[in-house]
Amino acid sequence: MINTLLAVAPELVPLALVDSFIEFLHPSELSRVLIDGLSKAAIYAMIAGGLTLIFGLMGVLNFAHGSLTMVGAYLGGAVMVLMVSSTTGPLARVAFFFVAVAVVFGALSAVGGALEVTLIRRLYDRPPIAQILLTFGLTLIIDELMRIILEFYDIQPRADWIAAWGTKPWFLSQRLSVGPISVRGIALFEIVMGVLTVAGIWAFLTRTRYGLFIRAGSEDSEMASALGIDVRRVFTVVFALGTGVAGIAGALLMWDTHWGASVPLGAETLLPAFVVVIIGGLGTFRGTVAAALLVGLVDAIMSWWFVNEIKFSGLPQLTIFLILVFVLIVRPQGLFGVEEVGGH
Amino acid sequence: MTVLEVEDVHTYYGESHILEGVSLEVDDGEVVALMGRNGVGKTTTIRTILQLTPPLNGAVRFRGTDIVDEETHEVARRGIGWIPEDRRVFAQLTVEENLRVAVPNQDEIAAGLELAYDAFPILEERREQRAETLSGGQQQMLALARGLVGENELLLVDEPSEGLAPQIVATVAESLADAATQTSMLLVEQNLPLALDLADRFYVLDNGSVVDDGETDDVSADSDRLRRYLSA
Amino acid sequence: MAISDDASPEDATVASGSEDAVTTTQDSDASGWSAWPVRYARDHIVHLVVILLFAVYPGLYHEATTLPDGLVIPLVDVQLALVFQSFLPQVTTMTPILYFGLFAMSFDFISGYTGYLSFGHAAFYGIGAYFVILVANGKIPLLASGTPFMVSLVLAAVLAALIAVAIGFVSFRLTGVYFAMITLGFAQVFYVFVRGWDWVSTTPRDGVGVSFATHPEGFRIGIPYLDSASYAIGRLTGSGIDNFLGMFDLSTNVVSFYMIGLVVLVCYFLMQRIIHSPFGRVMIAIRENEERAEAVGYNTFYYKLGAFAISGAFAGVGGALFAGYRRSVTPENTFYFLTTGDALLSSIIGGLGTIAGPLYGRLFEQGLAEFLSKGSEGGGLLPLLQELLSDSLLGTNVLGLTIEEMIDVFINGRASLYVGIVFVLFVLFVPNGLLGTLRDRLGGPIAKVVPDRLFGGERP
Repeated sequence: MINTLLAVAPELVPLALVDSFIEFLHPSELSRVLIDGLSKAAIYAMIAGGLTLIFGLMGVLNFAHGSLTMVGAYLGGAVMVLMVSSTTGPLARVAFFFVAVAVVFGALSAVGGALEVTLIRRLYDRPPIAQILLTFGLTLIIDELMRIILEFYDIQPRADWIAAWGTKPWFLSQRLSVGPISVRGIALFEIVMGVLTVAGIWAFLTRTRYGLFIRAGSEDSEMASALGIDVRRVFTVVFALGTGVAGIAGALLMWDTHWGASVPLGAETLLPAFVVVIIGGLGTFRGTVAAALLVGLVDAIMSWWFVNEIKFSGLPQLTIFLILVFVLIVRPQGLFGVEEVGGH
Repeated sequence: MTVLEVEDVHTYYGESHILEGVSLEVDDGEVVALMGRNGVGKTTTIRTILQLTPPLNGAVRFRGTDIVDEETHEVARRGIGWIPEDRRVFAQLTVEENLRVAVPNQDEIAAGLELAYDAFPILEERREQRAETLSGGQQQMLALARGLVGENELLLVDEPSEGLAPQIVATVAESLADAATQTSMLLVEQNLPLALDLADRFYVLDNGSVVDDGETDDVSADSDRLRRYLSA
Repeated sequence: MAISDDASPEDATVASGSEDAVTTTQDSDASGWSAWPVRYARDHIVHLVVILLFAVYPGLYHEATTLPDGLVIPLVDVQLALVFQSFLPQVTTMTPILYFGLFAMSFDFISGYTGYLSFGHAAFYGIGAYFVILVANGKIPLLASGTPFMVSLVLAAVLAALIAVAIGFVSFRLTGVYFAMITLGFAQVFYVFVRGWDWVSTTPRDGVGVSFATHPEGFRIGIPYLDSASYAIGRLTGSGIDNFLGMFDLSTNVVSFYMIGLVVLVCYFLMQRIIHSPFGRVMIAIRENEERAEAVGYNTFYYKLGAFAISGAFAGVGGALFAGYRRSVTPENTFYFLTTGDALLSSIIGGLGTIAGPLYGRLFEQGLAEFLSKGSEGGGLLPLLQELLSDSLLGTNVLGLTIEEMIDVFINGRASLYVGIVFVLFVLFVPNGLLGTLRDRLGGPIAKVVPDRLFGGERP
């Protein structure tokens, strides 16, 4: 509407903007944007959460995180495809989903732990870029291995795995309506999963002894070891945990038609995850959650405006990077960051 | 019985030869002061004992066992506690969490907390506050309390009075004296009167090696013997 | 910050501010080699040898792959020609190695020498590529679509440099990981923008191209406006030269190879000159200890900006050459972060902080990729193994697959896997890359050490 107006009668654009704004404020639109934003925030929080745990404690920026999310998506999909048939009822499907989540968490944690012990550990004495490079190389390897496996089973690596979509319970594929408010079922599910995951991590960090070790080690790993904490082993556990959470995020995404299980999912999730971690402040879990909310909501708002009104379809994707650039200029250490800029 | 024996250690930071053959001893129940000007290697000696910066040559024995090249957490678990320069309490954790982290066995946390709060009531008052909200003196007490609840036989205390107002120093000194009744201590301290008051024996470090040692009863803060190596 | 964080001896002298050490020697008691051109040749013998190898490569390849069928390796009975064809990269693979190598070298220029990792370097490559094509399509105001390629190339470099200054102005307030991420952010902004902006082309997602209708003969490298002193390049178009030096007929592929190689060579020497100049010494000082450089009095911010602009300019040249050769580019093969990733890959394998290293790294990586690719694309392992191994061996079943099938699944076209493995191994065990490790072994930059060893004599 605004595009055509711009071409024909530019003086009318402000009117059109006001018009759009009123439309935006309508409860059905607002609620849609809110839920969309929160679901995006949930996804980002889950993916970035693992990343920030790893970075906070070990200073490792794990470039392979996206690929591991992707592996989680496929593994979750595989479990579901094997267990779900067309006759399986919706509640059973949800139950199976949690089984898949458990499997994915276990498997990915094991993989993460193994990677840490065999490869990442060797680089602690080197400058931080070495770890970025190593994990970048791992991404290449993991992506290609997945392609080999997928093509072997005649699954298209570049396209979303449709069979995985097919395992969704019906109520998640649809929109749920209450009065004028209509939201995507899967979005609500993602919000629930996101809240559960974040709460789970939070509880682990603040209520358990190991969580205490992690928080102490993140602040001052030397002092922690002088108090008897085997910081090396904590590193392994954190890396495994972070990877496991990434896997869960992936499993969740296999059902979301906006993402889907495909090899490019790795890259699609990695960049937003990094951005969220940095905006929030490297290494603070609280910051990551806050940043995820910020980015998710702004993304949803921008999507609504620019898809409905101004036809520049690429802009929603731009949003996340524009926020990054803006935050890094205005507050380089991130929203909650306490590190000195450039400390890592 | 010797708790700690450092024998002819040489420690490097990169190319710099910081400790050039340091030897010292701490016996059961003793407080030993390690003194010297800034930069002579006092903190490095502590770090060497903890294996944070392992020595290239020499031996470090705890109750007879050589602990060189062990992991720091293993050294700590043997019963060596570290009260570092700048206290290094975990700022984002609460006072109570700081103490919990220091207790080696999960079952003994309640007992450990009780011990700490008895010795330092001010910590109990602020148990739920984040450590970064504590004053310098209170943080020092927290650091000391950590050392106590850690079931340590030897405490390595580095410059406890640094940056503290004189009244606070007096309180800290009291706490240190109390602690000394329960553990052995190697005390690095530039505050001469405090060091000589607390310690039974002393070593003087200069240019990376021990240049003098003796009983603290034999010297005073202004004696020439010490003034040679220390800024008064 | 850089992987090769122990500076080579030359860098050490250079960073401490001594006079430029790479000058021709003054000694006159070296046995009679005193004429200036001869001295120059001596000092630059390594460069000359490398250039020579590149120069004869097309001919070498042609000869090696057209050896008579009868010439075989004894005992295994494999044709020599086939062996060479499998192992040696085709000329059409070599040309992209050259211009992408230039891009990778420009990446090393900033990341390896100042220690600031430019994760968004693809932005400048993309600017170079898109600018050239947009000019040719008449989309840039003030520039006719017939503007000579060389002119657009230079302008593209200037544009890239200016944008580098703009990006750097904001980004150099940060260091380390933050700097890397913010530059990555900028590059991704460019990527998304260019992908959706319909001024760029009617289908921006698919990229831009130069049609054959408007530009039948391709872009020309050489002296602009002088048709006789320039040659058209292009993968499909371009001029061939008949009767070169009265002996050879050069195909269009080979002409492209030489002309692009010429531009890359000039750029390489320019970058080298800058590194070995006082400006370059400050860059290295920034990498080694930026605070100290500031304390000594250098305005490191301006030096960083300058270095970034220079690296951006050369990246732009690389992109322009890419566009000139391929005639069409997509957002994915220009602005996308994996393009920078490829440059990073080449730099680590070749050696960060060496300038020439990334080119060799790319050569190694692309050579490996071609070796592992399918036979129709100039590979590869499979045709060679098909010759080498008996049919029965190829047909044996292992875990449900024949050996031949296994090769097809695990090896053919799977270069990324093995390059990734090589890369990880390099990061762990050969962090200074091929060239960097060679330098460490020899005790200095190759170009200096080899003449010293060969010809002796005093060197400052």
